[in-house]
Amino acid sequence: MTWFRNPAVSIAITLLAYALAVALHRRWRWIPPIVAACAPIMLLLLALGEPYGDYNRGGSLLTWILGPATVALAVPMYRQGKILRPLLPRLTVVVVAGAVVGMGSAGLMAWLLGAPLPVIMSTVPKSVTTPIAVELCKELKGIPQITIALVICAGVMGASFGVPLLRLAGVRNGLAIGAAMGTASHGVGTASLLRHSELQASVSSWAMAAAGVFTSVLAAMLMLFLR
Amino acid sequence: MIDTARGFAVIVGFGLLGTLLHWLGIPLPGGVLGLLLFFVALSTGLVKLAWVERAAALLLRHMVLLFVPLTVGLMEMGQVLQRQAAAIIASLLVSWLAVLLTTGWLGRLLLPGDAVADAARDAAAEGAQ
Repeated sequence: MTWFRNPAVSIAITLLAYALAVALHRRWRWIPPIVAACAPIMLLLLALGEPYGDYNRGGSLLTWILGPATVALAVPMYRQGKILRPLLPRLTVVVVAGAVVGMGSAGLMAWLLGAPLPVIMSTVPKSVTTPIAVELCKELKGIPQITIALVICAGVMGASFGVPLLRLAGVRNGLAIGAAMGTASHGVGTASLLRHSELQASVSSWAMAAAGVFTSVLAAMLMLFLR
Repeated sequence: MIDTARGFAVIVGFGLLGTLLHWLGIPLPGGVLGLLLFFVALSTGLVKLAWVERAAALLLRHMVLLFVPLTVGLMEMGQVLQRQAAAIIASLLVSWLAVLLTTGWLGRLLLPGDAVADAARDAAAEGAQ
């Protein structure tokens, strides 16, 4: 079927699948919207024998909007930054440490288990919010699909087990929990916090955006070092 | 509607500026450069929050839609995923836990406890009134 080559067709299908996924997620909170949106599209492509490349002619137009979505992260960073001003120096230390540990441990672990370089590089940006992770993965010559899958898993793990694990580790401080969830599990972790306080939600969304920025700076340094 | 369109124009403009700077040799991704420039513009008052609030909220709320096409591409990655599954999953679990605990413990050490934080927020709110 050649009409799949028309970008409008795949955009329409993607929008439809997304609307359906959001509705499902509203009814059953445990269904991750990304899974519910992607599964029917994959099944449809497989059933019709359509190559991914044809679908992605329209799909890549949506992917392009991830660029502006990254830029838009400046808004929560600015708004939360104003509320958090006295805490920012300490919060920066916490998030930078998390970014270093996240990149280092992911890359090291994959390398130790014998993964090839593109796979190692795909694991490095896995803690940060999707649009930034995708851009970093491309810079590092990784495989964006793998990075996205990891980012989603990191988010879902945070939403499901983050707070109980932190409590188990003796972390009960609301702001520390917010910072940890934003740094380790980006927007999905942040959204799952039961809003212990407005301040905690601020800390978490600031940490999410800042982790993306600091990880980018660290990745740039890594690339200069590797060159 | 016009409001949202104006916000999009501003945001895309910063994105393009970031892409240009990246192309000129700054080693940060274009989107992140755009984010930083946009942040500076908001902080200095060059761009008013009210101009961009709606467009930014729309982009952030429906971000999941934007990474559907890339994720669908996983259907072509079966072989790589299968061969590297152990490394990928181990790296994810270990690294996620490491980040969570590092930031959690460091946060407990450095950030104020709940009682202090609440008091500070109340004081700030009173000061602002």
